[in-house]
Amino acid sequence: MRWDEVDELLRAALTKEVEEGAKGLAGLEERVIRELARRPVRRSFWERVREFLSRPTPRWALVGALAALLLGFALGRLTAPSPVPQWSPNLFVIAAPGAKSVAVVGDFSAWQPIPLSDPDGDGIWSASIPLPPGRYEYAFLVDGKWVGQDPLAEEYLRTFGEYVSVRYIGGGRANPSS
Amino acid sequence: MVRFSRFRTDVPWKPRPEKGCILDAGKGEAALPAEELELIQRSLNGDLEAWGEIVSRYKEAVFAVTLSILRNYADAEDATQDAFIRAYQNLRKYDLSRKFSTWLFTVAANVAKNALRKRRREREPPLPEMDKDPAEEVHEDIKLAAVRRAVTELPEPYRAPVVLYYWHGLPVEEIGEVLGLPAGTVKTRLHRARALIRAKLVEQGVIRDAVG
Repeated sequence: MRWDEVDELLRAALTKEVEEGAKGLAGLEERVIRELARRPVRRSFWERVREFLSRPTPRWALVGALAALLLGFALGRLTAPSPVPQWSPNLFVIAAPGAKSVAVVGDFSAWQPIPLSDPDGDGIWSASIPLPPGRYEYAFLVDGKWVGQDPLAEEYLRTFGEYVSVRYIGGGRANPSS
Repeated sequence: MVRFSRFRTDVPWKPRPEKGCILDAGKGEAALPAEELELIQRSLNGDLEAWGEIVSRYKEAVFAVTLSILRNYADAEDATQDAFIRAYQNLRKYDLSRKFSTWLFTVAANVAKNALRKRRREREPPLPEMDKDPAEEVHEDIKLAAVRRAVTELPEPYRAPVVLYYWHGLPVEEIGEVLGLPAGTVKTRLHRARALIRAKLVEQGVIRDAVG
């Protein structure tokens, strides 16, 4: 079954789901109005913030400790050297100078982000992911921003209004570097 | 039937002259239909009848948001009601630079997430999810029933993006705004959700494994 057919099924199923449940919304307007008319005026957000800040609380200490821990972890990551991988069909690489975080997502990882690294700080981020032969759809996330067109990809697909790259490993299509 | 005007208050609300405030809309900057703008202005002045009209227009869409997070009709109905109450109480914070529906869905998503957290604290294990009588499913398209089950069984973070994309037809950036997520995260969740649903349908023999 093609992906667009899955999309159509999803739309139809959700329409039915909501239609059935929405039957219970009859008279909601009146219930909302009745409830609003009954409720007293709420205190503003700032009034509540002022009250919260005026109370001595150990939460601030906890937040401070957590921030210090995260800072230490980040500094440790920045200073730890890591080897630069050799190019291979399994190497995912992207130029992203100045980026804070880069990851690759794809069907090989169930679209979970796999972080890329830039050990020498030259803006070239990479990760080598051992994959069995096959066709793989993927994209990069650069500081959370979707980058769907990898120059090393063999083809692109458009889905959810954005591109994803396609790479064939171990045959099927020509290697882009050859 | 209750007439909304019974609840109308006669005390007008005095707006603060804030940038982007709904009441600046007369300057032609609003991305809101004039009729809807009027309803919101009346609501801000305490006219609950006008807010009732907003509820009527958006209740199904808001319900779809809360249902996607709570997976339970009764809880989603309660959350929908709470969302409209919360939105009314915070209407002064609504900024014209945002689409009204996006802002309203954001409020609804937050209300539903809070309800979900509360439900997890109070009742464990969670309520059984909208199980259907198998006899009833005979009359329903088998594929659709399987897709509905697969969507219901999706992990919680994936359902709302799926509903907002496929049911509301929102673009990825707007879904990110509603759920407070970067657009990239929304895209990965959509991809993952669709792959999970497809795998489930293949596993159940509802569709074949080949991708065209």
